[in-house]
Amino acid sequence: MNNAPDPVPIDPARETLFGRASIVWAIPFLALIVALTVAWQSYNDRGPLISIEFENGAGIAAGSTEVRFRDVTVGIVEGVTFSEGLEGVVAHIRLEKEVARYVDAGASFWVVRPQLSVQGVSGLDTVLSGVFIEGSWDSEIGPIRTAFKGLEIPPLFRPGKEGLQIALRTTPGGSLTDNSPILFRGIEIGRVGSARISREGNFAIAEAIIYEPHGRLVTGNTRFWDTSGFSVSIGPSGAEVDFSSLATLIGGGLTFDTFVSGGEPVTDGTVFEVFADEVTARNSVFNRSEAELLELRVIFDENISGLALGAPVEFSGLRIGSVEALSGIVDRERFGDARVRLNVIIGIQPARLGLSGDLGPEAVVSFLNARVQEGLRARLATASLLTGGLKVELVEIEDAPIAAAITEEEGMPTLPSTDSEISDATATVEGVFTRINSLPFEELLNSAIGFMQGAEAFVSSKELRETPQEIRALLGDIRAIVSSQEVKDIPVSLNAAIQRAETLLSQIEEGQAVSRVVEAIAAATEAANSVSASVAGVPELIEGLSGVAAKAEALPLDELTLQLTELLASADAILGTPAAQELPESLGAALDELNATLTELREGGAVRNVNATLNSAREAADAVALSSRDLPQLVEQITDVFDQASRTIAGYNQGDVISRDAQAALRDISKAANALTALARLLERNPTALIRGR
Amino acid sequence: MERARQAGEILNARDLGVVACTRCAQVWPIGTRACNRCGHRVYHRDVKSLQRVWALWLVGLMCYIPANLYPMLRTRTLLTVQESTIVGGAIELIEYGSVGVALIILIASVAIPLAKFMAIAFLAISVTRPSTVSKNQRQLLYEVVEYIGRWSMIDIFVVAILSSLVQLNVLVAISPGPASLFFALSVIFTMLSAQAFDSRMIWDAQRWRKGKKDHE
Repeated sequence: MNNAPDPVPIDPARETLFGRASIVWAIPFLALIVALTVAWQSYNDRGPLISIEFENGAGIAAGSTEVRFRDVTVGIVEGVTFSEGLEGVVAHIRLEKEVARYVDAGASFWVVRPQLSVQGVSGLDTVLSGVFIEGSWDSEIGPIRTAFKGLEIPPLFRPGKEGLQIALRTTPGGSLTDNSPILFRGIEIGRVGSARISREGNFAIAEAIIYEPHGRLVTGNTRFWDTSGFSVSIGPSGAEVDFSSLATLIGGGLTFDTFVSGGEPVTDGTVFEVFADEVTARNSVFNRSEAELLELRVIFDENISGLALGAPVEFSGLRIGSVEALSGIVDRERFGDARVRLNVIIGIQPARLGLSGDLGPEAVVSFLNARVQEGLRARLATASLLTGGLKVELVEIEDAPIAAAITEEEGMPTLPSTDSEISDATATVEGVFTRINSLPFEELLNSAIGFMQGAEAFVSSKELRETPQEIRALLGDIRAIVSSQEVKDIPVSLNAAIQRAETLLSQIEEGQAVSRVVEAIAAATEAANSVSASVAGVPELIEGLSGVAAKAEALPLDELTLQLTELLASADAILGTPAAQELPESLGAALDELNATLTELREGGAVRNVNATLNSAREAADAVALSSRDLPQLVEQITDVFDQASRTIAGYNQGDVISRDAQAALRDISKAANALTALARLLERNPTALIRGR
Repeated sequence: MERARQAGEILNARDLGVVACTRCAQVWPIGTRACNRCGHRVYHRDVKSLQRVWALWLVGLMCYIPANLYPMLRTRTLLTVQESTIVGGAIELIEYGSVGVALIILIASVAIPLAKFMAIAFLAISVTRPSTVSKNQRQLLYEVVEYIGRWSMIDIFVVAILSSLVQLNVLVAISPGPASLFFALSVIFTMLSAQAFDSRMIWDAQRWRKGKKDHE
């Protein structure tokens, strides 16, 4: 066996590695390749990690809070950490690779949360799904940025909300509500962003957007105004409350309109002014070139309350600006004493002065300077009688000190001032009201009623109806008697007698002879005789009277009525004496003027009118007094006439022959005279009764 | 050959220098490449068996990693979507106090698969290296692994049943997560790996090695 050659090891031909390897190895290789491919792919597809800093992390959860762009998820929050110093919350977000290229420095992020506001509900879907982060960026690829600062509120300009981007600026003294809608015909077509105050603090400016396609509604002639809040007005048609919509009432809002056609289309970045209301906005269209305010300083010696910010500055009655600032000033070196002076800064619109050409501040200052040389001064004047508000008036004083000129002080030109023209209007107005109050309207009415009743009773009395013819006759007779030479002579003779007595007495006084006394007595006797002679004509008179009475009896009835009418006409004439007639007129005129004054007062009119009215009222009162003074005289004269007649007739009554008619006539006259006396007394007592009379 | 007899070992076909065709059972002398009757390849031992074991074992292990990393169940209730991995779900259950259920899940989904991996790896190594564990014990271990393999699918059953039963539209819906697929693949590959293991090698090992030494 040992000799036998060693058995040749029959090794099978060595197979290749692939031949020996089982095909099964393909499976793990395949799995490995798949796994590696998937891993590489997912790593490759993974976008960059960006971090956004928010003030707080309400609702942001790692692994579930999404980042959306145009409402499509483009990333997910992978972790939430605190920023350095715990001042904020940083959300680390894995963005999708495709989108990440666009996320450059211009991108902005904000958290969308459910929001309930007056303008509606937004972000309701986040109630169930939780908040998400909305991103906004433009469609241009830029260098990637990984650290952002989250916004508190959504930005105004963002993709999907394209539109005309403008800026809104407040007018001097105006206000602006930021984050509010811009309405047009009640439809929200734009939005105002958050406003910021200018560096100088003299206006607020806010970005605004007018969504497409409404941008074409805005032209160079478009005016914006504030519709927030509401206005209450009380007019002849009752009280009115005016507001745009409940949303703007609470949340504020703007609207606009293009009052004048032909404006040029505006481009992004145009600045518009926001006016307080529609009227102002409409007016502003016609006050073009509202240049920058020119501010002037005015120092008033007196420190009078009533001047407020925004008070008007007027030049020749035209409002050219308003008071911008008020303060006190004490400058011992400049004024020589330590009194507090009123330091007013007024802003004037150079355009309102009507200057043509260059409206630069220098040009306006030089213009004003020239006017100041001619006597232009600023002074305080009453702007409103009722509120006692003041305004600044630029007036030209005739004999102003020449030295005054506009001087530059602390970079602001100072306008010289003069004494104020402030009338204590309140007191005057009060006086007017008191006087009106004290007018006896009620008594006047009562008297008028009494007079009318008396007149009615008088006119309807039977005696009166019967009287006219007798009166007429009597009057004729009386006229005859009175105008008869004899009667006329009586006073003359008496007068002569008295003159003689006077001379006699004077002669006695002068210590002359007693014989003069005897002469005087003789003269008196002569006078008495002449009286007797005149009386001798009486029977003739009575005859005439009888004739007249007879004629009167023959008078037709209609004539009686006519005469009654005449009587009334004459009574009317008495009442219609010029003084009496003027009285109501002048009073009426006075009331009219007063009324006009009150109207003007309401409109903030001048004080002069009030004074004029008061004068008129005074005149009217004087006229009333005058007429009431005249009236008794008038009546007295009438009474005198009747008295005279009565006396004369009474004298004849003692005569033998007096007809029954005459007696009755005289009785009636007496009654009539009494009635007239009563009327006269009534009028005397209540002169104002005439005012209400017709 | 004398040494074999000296050792009192049981003779097998290899010792007698013959090999049987695995398809038609015709016995051929060792070295025959193909069966002359049916044309099938004739081999004494499937030398690639161990390769298959390792390959499938590797795939199973690869699948087991995502099975644990990805969520097994996706529970969508009205407001929230909850995704839980195997271990995460078990921990959650423990926190809720259901320690029993958690233990079952942990044993069925974590302990047993891991034990299977280790057992198969140990068996595969033990046939090439000397081992202190007796052949009988290793055979027993192999049988246990084979038997228990199918029960690892219990997790997949639970997921499948829950997903098909709990579909209450908006209110609540359960759907299988990606891990369930990987877990199923992992179990399948582990089972295939266990089946690819030729248990006869356990018994072959010692002698084969000795033979090897003789050659040296």
